[in-house]
Amino acid sequence: MASNIPAASAVLWNPSADEHDPISARTYGFWLYLIGDALLFCGVFASYAVLDNPVNAAGGPLTAQVINAPHGLLQTFIILASVLAYSLGTVSLKTGNQAGVRLGIIAALLLGAAFLYISGSDLLALAAQGDGPTRSAFLSVFFTLLLTHGLHMVFGILWMLVMLVQVSVLGFTKDVVGRLLNLRLFWQFQATMWVCVYFYVYLLGGSR
Amino acid sequence: MNPPKQRRASLPSKLFLILPALLLPGCTTADLRLFHPVGLVARAEMHYTLILVITMLIIIVPTLLMTIIFPLRYHHSRNAKYTPDWHFSLSIELLAWGVPLAIVAFLCYLTIKGVYAVNPWAPGILANAPGASQPPINVQVIATDWQWVFIYPDQGVATIDDLVVPAGRIIHLQMTSTSNMNGFYIPQVVPMVDAMPAMESKDAFELNHPATYTGFSTDFSGAGFSWMQFSTRVVPQAAFDGWVQSLQSSPSQLTYAAFQKIAQPTVNVGAKPAYFSAPDKNLFNEVITAAMQGVVYPVPDSFTKRVSDNSAQGAQAPASPQ
Amino acid sequence: MQVALDGPWSPLLGRLSLAAIPYSNPILVSTFAVVVVLGIVIVGAALRYGKVGYIWREWLTSVDHKKIGVMYIILGLVMLFRGFIDGAMMRTQQLLADGPNSPGYLGAQHGYLPPYHFDQIYTAHGTLMLFFAATPLVAGLGNLIVPLQIGARDMAFPYLNATSLWLTVSGAALCMISLFVGEFSNATWVGLMPFSEMPTNPGVGVDYWMWAFQLSSLGTTFNAINMIATIVKMRAPGMSWFRMPVYCWSSLTTNIIGLSIFPVVTVALTMLGIDRYCGTHFFTAGYGGNFMLYVNLFWIWGHPEVYFLMLPAFGLFSEIVPTFSNKALFGYPTMVAASFSIGGIGWVVWAHHFFTMGMGPALNGYFSAATMLVGIPTGVKAFNWLFTMYRGRITYATPMLWALIGLVLLLIGGLTGMMLSASVFDYTVHNSLFVVAHFHCMVLVIGAALFAGVTYWWPKVFGFKLDEKNGQMYFWTFVIASLLVFVPLFYLGFAGVTRRLDYIYNPALKPLLWVSEGGIGMYFVSLFYFGKMLYVSLRDQIPAAADSWGTGRTLEWLTHTPVPFYNFAVTPQINARDELAWRKAKGLEGVQPTQYVPIHLPNNTAVPVILGALATIFGFAMTWRIWWLSLASLLAIIVVVIIRSFDKNEGYILSAEDIARMENRIALASIVAEQPKRPALVQVEAH
Repeated sequence: MASNIPAASAVLWNPSADEHDPISARTYGFWLYLIGDALLFCGVFASYAVLDNPVNAAGGPLTAQVINAPHGLLQTFIILASVLAYSLGTVSLKTGNQAGVRLGIIAALLLGAAFLYISGSDLLALAAQGDGPTRSAFLSVFFTLLLTHGLHMVFGILWMLVMLVQVSVLGFTKDVVGRLLNLRLFWQFQATMWVCVYFYVYLLGGSR
Repeated sequence: MNPPKQRRASLPSKLFLILPALLLPGCTTADLRLFHPVGLVARAEMHYTLILVITMLIIIVPTLLMTIIFPLRYHHSRNAKYTPDWHFSLSIELLAWGVPLAIVAFLCYLTIKGVYAVNPWAPGILANAPGASQPPINVQVIATDWQWVFIYPDQGVATIDDLVVPAGRIIHLQMTSTSNMNGFYIPQVVPMVDAMPAMESKDAFELNHPATYTGFSTDFSGAGFSWMQFSTRVVPQAAFDGWVQSLQSSPSQLTYAAFQKIAQPTVNVGAKPAYFSAPDKNLFNEVITAAMQGVVYPVPDSFTKRVSDNSAQGAQAPASPQ
Repeated sequence: MQVALDGPWSPLLGRLSLAAIPYSNPILVSTFAVVVVLGIVIVGAALRYGKVGYIWREWLTSVDHKKIGVMYIILGLVMLFRGFIDGAMMRTQQLLADGPNSPGYLGAQHGYLPPYHFDQIYTAHGTLMLFFAATPLVAGLGNLIVPLQIGARDMAFPYLNATSLWLTVSGAALCMISLFVGEFSNATWVGLMPFSEMPTNPGVGVDYWMWAFQLSSLGTTFNAINMIATIVKMRAPGMSWFRMPVYCWSSLTTNIIGLSIFPVVTVALTMLGIDRYCGTHFFTAGYGGNFMLYVNLFWIWGHPEVYFLMLPAFGLFSEIVPTFSNKALFGYPTMVAASFSIGGIGWVVWAHHFFTMGMGPALNGYFSAATMLVGIPTGVKAFNWLFTMYRGRITYATPMLWALIGLVLLLIGGLTGMMLSASVFDYTVHNSLFVVAHFHCMVLVIGAALFAGVTYWWPKVFGFKLDEKNGQMYFWTFVIASLLVFVPLFYLGFAGVTRRLDYIYNPALKPLLWVSEGGIGMYFVSLFYFGKMLYVSLRDQIPAAADSWGTGRTLEWLTHTPVPFYNFAVTPQINARDELAWRKAKGLEGVQPTQYVPIHLPNNTAVPVILGALATIFGFAMTWRIWWLSLASLLAIIVVVIIRSFDKNEGYILSAEDIARMENRIALASIVAEQPKRPALVQVEAH
């Protein structure tokens, strides 16, 4: 059909192309997961926006009556401190300092647990006074939003526990480093989500 | 690089001779009720549909022709002109985007105009209807599981599965439902609108000639859904007044307590009507309020399992309102 | 917060009891018998020929994208068959139960199915066809072809890929279990609210549906992540964005859609689950619940989901039409633009699924107009395919026939879809059989594309073509059957017949129902030819060439047929958009690599299968509210994942000598060949 040219003038095979950077692909994949997770939160936030309405409170309380504003502020500081602690831990990762990484994770973990304790006790107190999630559609979505975030935090803490063991047992292998970096993304993302919750529920909702 | 030689698929395509059978049902359109709209609203729907379809055919028909002609014309056995490397033409692409864009723009204009004309809440088209000078007839519709309750608040009568309206008057329908979403629809007459629990929706129509139509639910609501027909009878004004008077003396009165019995899950086989006098003035709003407060008419598991052997009188669940 | 249950509950077995087994229903008992016999035949054959170990080692535990793709396709075809049987039962019921004097059989008042059973059948039909037939077929073809077309060794995350497959399988398994233990949902595949809530649906059916849906959508989300990462990160050197085959583009668009919508339906279903399990009030009518919220959330997922399935179909046409026209695809850049337009518009049109819910003319008008916009890029695609054929050299091979009928169906479906998008028309046929006929036209476009794709790439995967003669008989009988079934449904829609009716009150419609039933009979004929096609092709196994159709243009036709498990002996360097066509034009298509380098490949793993099995148990336990088992299986899933994360296995290295040996005797490297055991690499600390 077309004129034949010598094979040598075109590069047809590339034996050096086989190595893809696994951490790069892995981090990219994790970013994609975070997009999915963000859309999950979007769905819950949208439902919250729809149901945060006197009609949907069915005579029960609305945002301003159910939030504990000082606790919310405290939780915000705690979760940001937790992210800071973890990030300082990953600074030690650069120098290969296992103890530093462990310290950062433990600090982040404890702060996360404190956050969950405050959140959990607030929700339990609310339920105990009769304003549980079955009281009205608004309370259903209020509990669901906070618990969605809380469950993510629980999962993050579980992940941190596993990483504490893996750092000690496996050392800084490619897999472990990849996981530590993804966990940092995950933890930062949960803090971002909490800031959204704080802004939307505690500040905007509380001021109505 | 010649394409592999292949026989044209002539034998199997003969099977296509069966297809003219599909046209047979089209010989009569009597059953195709949507082609026979009555009343201003339904006729407007048909009118817009026809213009829309004809506009769409402007692009569909040539494309269909190309889809048939190109594969035949450029089959390898015909040795037609062959340009293997021709793969882009700005003018064709501009046409391919531009023509559909122009047609869709026109369609959008038309459909938005149409949707205002037949808006079930307040059909623009009914503003100039002959009956617009008289006050409308109000009918409140409550869909239960699985019957239709029609309340005439101004006349003080109510029916089950029998909508009777006078000719030449605008009918305003207010709709709600006890526990499930149902679609209210009378083909040829009104636009379909959902009747939903704890909410009020609206519909309207006007018919000028006495006739009978069948309406039904269009949104699945459970085991008795297929039997949710109701008759729509358009009668002369005098006959309507007489009908109302005859019902007003009916001994069974539609109180809220009576309604609660009716609202229990019931398969009304054959859509047998029932009639009541003196419906509770506030019944419609009470049903909405009750639904908002969480009143449901539950369908027990056992009921759905034995609905197969429902008797000719219709099956009803054991009464246990919550 | 325990919800009051309708019926007994025990701590050990939850709601499960012997009464849940429908042994008194002759239809289900005979179905069960057939399933058991088939199971015995398959397992027996595997035992008889000593293939159990082979199937476990080489298939079930495989992380090879091609094998996973093939397993997806097998799952899809099996579920397609079950969904078809459901459809046949529905049509037969409507034929029999037409008019008040219609007879009743098997205890039903009309027809042979009581309403409750009929409702489960159409719910299962919709659920199965979408999630367990169409989605696995689309995902399977994507898995098979995308890595080959971009010159990659595998997907970006092979282990995640297998997990996606087995999560989808676990959803399908729950649907199958529901046939014989308990019941399936009767609340339609979309889950009507508040009908799916406890008061009106106290049984386990909705729970089965919900968990099957959740598990499969989780699998699909993972698959979407994997596909996007693969396409973005794993392309062969030289393959710039605009050298990518259009099928990869449509895979990319479709998985961006998938990633963005499936979380939304996860939220909607989770809220329904919390309602059903904890007694909250998201979608109830009372206590401030808002069931319209569910309808919106569902269709925010549901409408893009249509394009999620449709865009790969368009991508398949864009591969098949150029190949069998022996001509480059016309208008490549606008094809890409059109894919993204369709995906983008798909997000903002969801409310056209409920024009009758009373949104008011402004919103209805907006959603009508937005929906109509989809017609523009779709039209562009149709024109581009037509101009690809224009001045081409067309061959009527089976894939091309499927593509052509797909185009015709797209025009019919497009016309009726544009009609429906006008809310003024939708007010008259919403929820009618007209809508059913319309979206079946559209899913038949997807079906035609999938059959085209399977026939087109079959030789690449297995090394021999599907029998052309029986394939064409299958094609013609299938097309005629589809027309016979669905054209009468358009008429019935005009006659005002609603969908989901187990009883049709108007006996005058009998002739139309008969025509439709005739189509079902024709489908059985086409099924016979499908079986015969498979049988003849497997019996003869006529070897196919690397470029099996002779006019292939893209990269996958460059490697051997059947494709080796390592895809390409050496990664190709990409020089043009249609790489193979470019090499053919330069006379380079026969040039093989002169030297090989070792290839790093992942080891097979049983973890995804175990996760799938545990997920099935979890779904089953949650459905029946067996709390201890739910908790145990959930913990087991977490423990398995943690254990796996301690695995130091880094895969294995295929040496250059091995590759040379396999390249010389390609049968050794075929994807169905058993691979020799290879020592696993062990990861060491980097620091």
